Amino acid sequence: MFLSLFIVNQSGGLVYHRPLSPLAPKIDTNDWLRIGSTFHSLHCLAAEAAPVRLPKNRNQRTGADDGIEVIDAGGMILQCLQTRTGMKFVITSTKTKEDCDLSAVLREVYLLYVDCALKNPFYELDMPIKVDLFNRGVDLLIEQYHSSGGSSRR
Amino acid sequence: MTLYSFHIFDRRGKTLFTKQYNAHFHQKVSSQSEEEQRKLVFGMLFSLREIMGTLAPPNDGFSEPTVLQSVKTGRCTVHVYETISGMRLVMYTDNFKQSDGNGNLAVRESLRYIYANIWVEYVVRSPLYRPGDLLAVGDKGEDLGSSNRRRFDIHSTEFEKRLDALVTKQKWYK
Repeated sequence: MFLSLFIVNQSGGLVYHRPLSPLAPKIDTNDWLRIGSTFHSLHCLAAEAAPVRLPKNRNQRTGADDGIEVIDAGGMILQCLQTRTGMKFVITSTKTKEDCDLSAVLREVYLLYVDCALKNPFYELDMPIKVDLFNRGVDLLIEQYHSSGGSSRR
Repeated sequence: MTLYSFHIFDRRGKTLFTKQYNAHFHQKVSSQSEEEQRKLVFGMLFSLREIMGTLAPPNDGFSEPTVLQSVKTGRCTVHVYETISGMRLVMYTDNFKQSDGNGNLAVRESLRYIYANIWVEYVVRSPLYRPGDLLAVGDKGEDLGSSNRRRFDIHSTEFEKRLDALVTKQKWYK
């Protein structure tokens, strides 16, 4: 069961947040902004604090910076996808028996972001995403994952 | 699976114990920035706990409580076991993938064992131990002013020896 999705831009500002199911906690906008920027700094901090890092602090295959990928917290999992440009797509979900591939979900969200937000001529880069098509796309994606039980869709 | 380091922090962030394993893998850092690095680790775990608390689903009494357990980065994973007294046992390992999918659980179980059966048995139950008076890593161990007693040094107990014995016997240790 997914909980929330949030997207942080390369400067650390929150550009998008959305609850994905009724289980998601009710967080007001200011707290979301704080979560976004705190996560941005902790992402880099985790790489700094680690005794072993990726060569040159980057993942050579994806171009992403070294940092938090997965956080396991008892009943909840948080997964982060960092893009080559420094944007972070973060999703939280409860732990279920079926092993839902959260990184696949994040990649789909990234594709949706590219199609609906970036290709939208009225969307300003790094601004909060207020694009209805993107919201609908995310909702549809989550619904498909919930109905197909987390297995491969389409 | 390779073990990189092990730290124990008290609730305020003081390092009570630290040990590096397989140091040839680590990035070279001086001893002063080792302390800085430990402070970073503590700060990160502290802030992450706050964030996870905010992001967690509301407690319905059925599901597992949200407690920070492990954080995975590019090359290593940090496992945390926090006790009710606020003490954190922190272990850095590499990103291993165990066939039965329970790798993280095994490390967490080891951390719990280290606390319950080694720390409590050999440090807390030591007759010289006074709570709150532990010699932290980096402390010079000078006198406490009013009393002549010195701070309690963990290295006077068998803690490290027992810890090493346990860790090298684990199936996941390399």
